[in-house]
Amino acid sequence: MNELLSTLVFYAVAVVILATALGVVMSKNLVHSALLMTACFIGVGVLFIWLNADFLGAMEFMLYSGGVAILVVMGVMLTKREAGPPGNPFNGRKLTALGMVILFMLVMCTVVVSTPIPTGGFVSPDTVSDLADMMLNRYILPFEIAATLLLAALLGAIILAKGDGEA
Amino acid sequence: MTIGLNHCLLLAAMLFAIGLYGVLSKRNIIAVLMGVELMLNAVNINFVAFNRFTPVSDLTGQLMTVFAITVGVAEVAIGVALAYRIYNDRNTINVDELDNMKG
Repeated sequence: MNELLSTLVFYAVAVVILATALGVVMSKNLVHSALLMTACFIGVGVLFIWLNADFLGAMEFMLYSGGVAILVVMGVMLTKREAGPPGNPFNGRKLTALGMVILFMLVMCTVVVSTPIPTGGFVSPDTVSDLADMMLNRYILPFEIAATLLLAALLGAIILAKGDGEA
Repeated sequence: MTIGLNHCLLLAAMLFAIGLYGVLSKRNIIAVLMGVELMLNAVNINFVAFNRFTPVSDLTGQLMTVFAITVGVAEVAIGVALAYRIYNDRNTINVDELDNMKG
């Protein structure tokens, strides 16, 4: 029973993720794309929780479906040219893109199906303290580098948005 | 039938493919950024799935996802700032028109 429920949840989440992702690409209105992208990120967050990564699920909800979505909507609003809803047109390389995507999917399916995968699994009873332990002991250097990167991104974004002389 | 690593990898591959299609076929720079975000999320799903379904002993995969999310968010902040800047300077965000560096 539990197994069946877990399978059903996975397929439901997968359908939500793929449908909303397709909506992001296919939607005629850029604001709808941004909204569907938020829904897609919520689906990915639920998938993380399904994979026993509850901290990452919460992070996904806060950063992606909260922060990134708002940033993207602000970007859409700030770069609108004509009146009316912001359009989301395709360029002239739709078929080339489709061909490359199909090629990519063929390669990935072949790789995934033909690679022998070791069985087993790992579920942490407490992801938050495990992640904190690793982050502040063994992986302290990438942690500090990420902090520096965030500072640089913050300054870079401000300088880019405000212009040369003003910042 | 139990869901295993293969299912998650195929789901992530499909999400990545959809994002790739958006990146390659869209004209608006913000739409291209959205495609990049979808691809980043697909990669994160892979990290977490490998951490969950292969015989490992710690949460390295999830920790790498934390760093990947950090980089992704920084990237989208810079991307939106760049788009705004380009729009201010050129009054367009059509990636086809931004070809000054074309040889």
